[in-house]
Amino acid sequence: MEGGLRHRPKTLDEVFRLREREPECRLLAGGTDLCVQHRGRLGETPLLSLRRVAELRGVARSRPDLPGAADLLPGGECLRIGAGTTLSALLNETEIERGFPALRAALSAIGSRQIRNVATIGGNLCNASPAADGAPPLLVLDAAVEIASREGRRLLPLEEFFRGPGRTSLGAEEILAAVWVPLPFEDEVSVFLRKGRVKMDIAIASLALRCRRGAGTLSGLRLAAGAVGPTPLRLRRTEALLEGASLKDCGLVREPGGRPRAREDGLLARAMDEASKEIAPIDDLRASAWYRRRLVRVFLERAVAEVFAQ
Amino acid sequence: MTGTRFVGTKFPRPEAPDKVSGRALYIHDVVRPGMLHGAIKHSAHAHARILRIDTSRAEALPGVEAVITGFDTPELRVGFLRENRALKRDKVRNQRDEIAAVAARDPETARRALELIEVEYEVLPAVFDPVEAMREGAPRIHEVDGRGRPTRDNRVPMECRHHSGDLEAAKERSAFRVAGDYEVPWIQQSCMGTAGCIAEFDANGDLTVWAKTQIPFLAQRDFNRALEEMGLEGRNTRVIVTTLGGGFGTGLDTHCYEYIAILLAHRTGRPVKVLMDREEEFRYLSPRQSARVHIEQGCDEEGRLTYREVRVLQDNGAYASWGATFPTVMLLPVTSLYKVPVVHFDAEIVYTNNTYAQAMRGYGNPEVTMAIESNLDELALAAGIDRLEIRRINCNEPGEVTPMGARVGSCGLRACIEACAEKLDWRAKPGRNGRLRGVGMASMLHVGGSGRIYRSDASGIILKLDDFGNVNVFYGGVEMGQGLHSTIRLAIADSLGVLPEKVRVNPTDTATCPWDVGTHASRGAFMACNAALEAVRKLRARLFAYCVDLFPREVERALRKQRAGGPPPRPEGGAAPDRSSPPSAEADLSFAQGRAPGDFELEKGLVFVKDGPDAPWAKIPLDRILRAIHFREGGDMLTETAFYDPPSELPDWREGRGNMSAAYTYGAQAVELEVDPETGEVEILRFVSAMDIGKVLNPQALDGQVLGGLAQGLGYALYEEVKTEEGAILNPNFTDYKLPTAHEMAFPVDLVYVETDEPTGPFGAKGAGEPGLVPTAPAIANALRDALGVSLRTLPMTPERILRALDPSAS
Repeated sequence: MEGGLRHRPKTLDEVFRLREREPECRLLAGGTDLCVQHRGRLGETPLLSLRRVAELRGVARSRPDLPGAADLLPGGECLRIGAGTTLSALLNETEIERGFPALRAALSAIGSRQIRNVATIGGNLCNASPAADGAPPLLVLDAAVEIASREGRRLLPLEEFFRGPGRTSLGAEEILAAVWVPLPFEDEVSVFLRKGRVKMDIAIASLALRCRRGAGTLSGLRLAAGAVGPTPLRLRRTEALLEGASLKDCGLVREPGGRPRAREDGLLARAMDEASKEIAPIDDLRASAWYRRRLVRVFLERAVAEVFAQ
Repeated sequence: MTGTRFVGTKFPRPEAPDKVSGRALYIHDVVRPGMLHGAIKHSAHAHARILRIDTSRAEALPGVEAVITGFDTPELRVGFLRENRALKRDKVRNQRDEIAAVAARDPETARRALELIEVEYEVLPAVFDPVEAMREGAPRIHEVDGRGRPTRDNRVPMECRHHSGDLEAAKERSAFRVAGDYEVPWIQQSCMGTAGCIAEFDANGDLTVWAKTQIPFLAQRDFNRALEEMGLEGRNTRVIVTTLGGGFGTGLDTHCYEYIAILLAHRTGRPVKVLMDREEEFRYLSPRQSARVHIEQGCDEEGRLTYREVRVLQDNGAYASWGATFPTVMLLPVTSLYKVPVVHFDAEIVYTNNTYAQAMRGYGNPEVTMAIESNLDELALAAGIDRLEIRRINCNEPGEVTPMGARVGSCGLRACIEACAEKLDWRAKPGRNGRLRGVGMASMLHVGGSGRIYRSDASGIILKLDDFGNVNVFYGGVEMGQGLHSTIRLAIADSLGVLPEKVRVNPTDTATCPWDVGTHASRGAFMACNAALEAVRKLRARLFAYCVDLFPREVERALRKQRAGGPPPRPEGGAAPDRSSPPSAEADLSFAQGRAPGDFELEKGLVFVKDGPDAPWAKIPLDRILRAIHFREGGDMLTETAFYDPPSELPDWREGRGNMSAAYTYGAQAVELEVDPETGEVEILRFVSAMDIGKVLNPQALDGQVLGGLAQGLGYALYEEVKTEEGAILNPNFTDYKLPTAHEMAFPVDLVYVETDEPTGPFGAKGAGEPGLVPTAPAIANALRDALGVSLRTLPMTPERILRALDPSAS
């Protein structure tokens, strides 16, 4: 079996045809994860590059005309992000800059500028790392993924896309074509917090929060955490606890040093306990489960404080 | 000697253009005709008997030229205790043990062949902790030592201790005493250029090795011994040093992979290259030695140190490489950093089934300085004395003789401490956004005039002047990125009196360069420049002796030419001389006649008489004089050598006494940082690095050395650790092993040089290669204690360790 770059098709149809013929080929998008996984011996793996497939790239406002769209993306107009769009291209989108601060923060935390110039949003999701920085902010945005195959296209909630470390819902013949993100509400706030061992590193824990500020309460709250379970996780029980809470309910106070602090008797402290139960972190080379729990608690405390501070 | 002109100024590196344009030949780039590629099969177990190795399937693979094992090759002993073998025969003692090797037409075939080699093992009980390894009944790593004598236990037969003064009495006398246990991990030297070599035999059986080494001449000795063991008595090895992508101590020993390349080249009759990729380098080469350090220090009511007691335990791993000798360097800071009258130092080094360690920048010094300096802050706290003040009180002084017998020449430690005091705000201040702010410092002492660990600590140099006025330099030390060649350039340009670009430092090659013990112990510039200064003195004496006869003729010729309208001599690189005032017809040439050698001078490539006329025709370019010396009957060419052995003593390690270096480098670093008490995240706000390096020779290279050292010290302090489980390396790549990057170094560093003018140093300079790294970790640990009120005694000080120190009950 000859390794190396075998094909560089220009259309999705070609991609499907080639995959049927040569199922041993791995799909190459930006290649930034594949390179690391193959330890510099990428040349020994047969590859099918997606980088010339123009229809996979680009960001545009659009209405999803796909089965299930009415349920999955009830708001109608969305941002459709082609799976092959590079992280740098996304970061250059004014729409992302204005409407999706958590997503923007997450994307700019991935790798270096050189990595972001080639890495794609689709690759970030299909690699299905529990630590993928792109995942938590998209989860809290209620994003859906558009999956394409020769048979057609289908929509799936992003949450159902992740099946385990390195595993997705994609069938053997399918590829991720796009990510659909509902447009933000006027009063939408989103926050993304993460920590690596050094600045340019895989997250050892991350947390994304989105909500509407409403009348000084947390409404439509969504929380998702990365690197603390087999997949990026929505924290639904924690969301439910905090939904509709006011600053007073949360019990947030500001310490003299300027640090926000959740009072022990407040709702936020309970939510922090809930979040650390809801996640399932492991001990690994990067951090212990104990430390990851600590981080998620602190991130939640700080993210909620940030929302009320905005 | 002429006054210094280039020394102390910024000057580009001669090797830089080739490096930045990709022309420099690293071992990866060197190709020999007919070259094969070697690959090595490593052990699958940490401790096991080798029962059977079947290489038949590997041999049958097309493209494979040779498969060798310890059973079908001569036994080549490796390491200074001779208990290691290039290819293991009896048993494997750790997971990196080499058991077979392949030479094939390309690296991929060689790698595939490795997978076809079948090895049958009998797994043996293994031990991975040095304390357990010392217990009775622990699995024995070596049944016999390097000389075949039965061993009694797993202790490495390496004695290094120092006991001076009555420890118990000193403890009783002390008003304050503080003890602590510190632990520092294995870390990777992480050279940008990975390791490798090429071995090639000629038809006479002589060997050439292209090596990534810092010790070409000790490697020649080691490889010649291997040739003897291979039955090639009387054959010789030539070691050619390729461009190095960093050394940091990795090149201080000869390695199993090099001996294996030699065996494969001998078996196949073709050149064989063995190259390590990053992951192999992590798994199969030696990291920095880890250590556990117990320390106790005491002081009197006034803060004067009364004693220092240090006990070191080292996990030696399976074989002895230079990691086993770290205590010989620890001895210096333990006995000599600050004035301390009573010192007890003991070290225990124990074989285990872990990886074994090698040298790395600082060589034992950062390990033990972490304990000394961190514990000193705790002692200051206990005694209620300011942290800067306790260092002032106990500061080393010029002229001091320390307990180990180190004779301190120049010493600018006090000024270094004061620089740290001045450049940071030591008052308590709150951090930003609820973070806690801390300030801390640590001092250091390192060998600054080489370090005598062999009977000879010398460096030879050859300076060969050619017909064009070039100074060809042959020096046996190694340029590995530190800037040695540019420093040699500046030193020779100044002392000889030529322009730097005329000084050409040649690649290091044992066939052409004189002997040098190796580029280690911050000795490169100190040794090379001292040797160069001696050779330059000889060169100038011979040159000026010839000038007595030849100079007048050359002046006359120059004058004649100029009168005939020829171009006047142009000073090298300088502007054309003023032609508006041609010499008068009756210019008196008598000034040049009947002169003594001492009347001549050479500056910027022009020879002249010191009190002669200041006219272009009275200054003769060096190359013209050199040709005049050469092209005549009974002609001569100027080549001079010098062999410099510094004024130092080989210590008696069992007593821990001896003036091991000709000079001592001092320094201090201080840091201001903020730490987030909830995530444990540390942000460095600024650093001060004050170094007493004698005199600055090469400012650009020096800044690089200090900043590079500081970056490595930062990694040591906060990020780096080779993690193992049952002897296997768990994080053999930069995804899982974290080095600081430019992001982590994005704080201002105040670089201060305290110029003390060392009498033994070339131009007053002392060694500066390692010091930048030595005090970094304890300075950070001390700042963290200042911020948090708790002590971190284990490196790296990760956020998790910080949180656990704050909350010891956390589970």
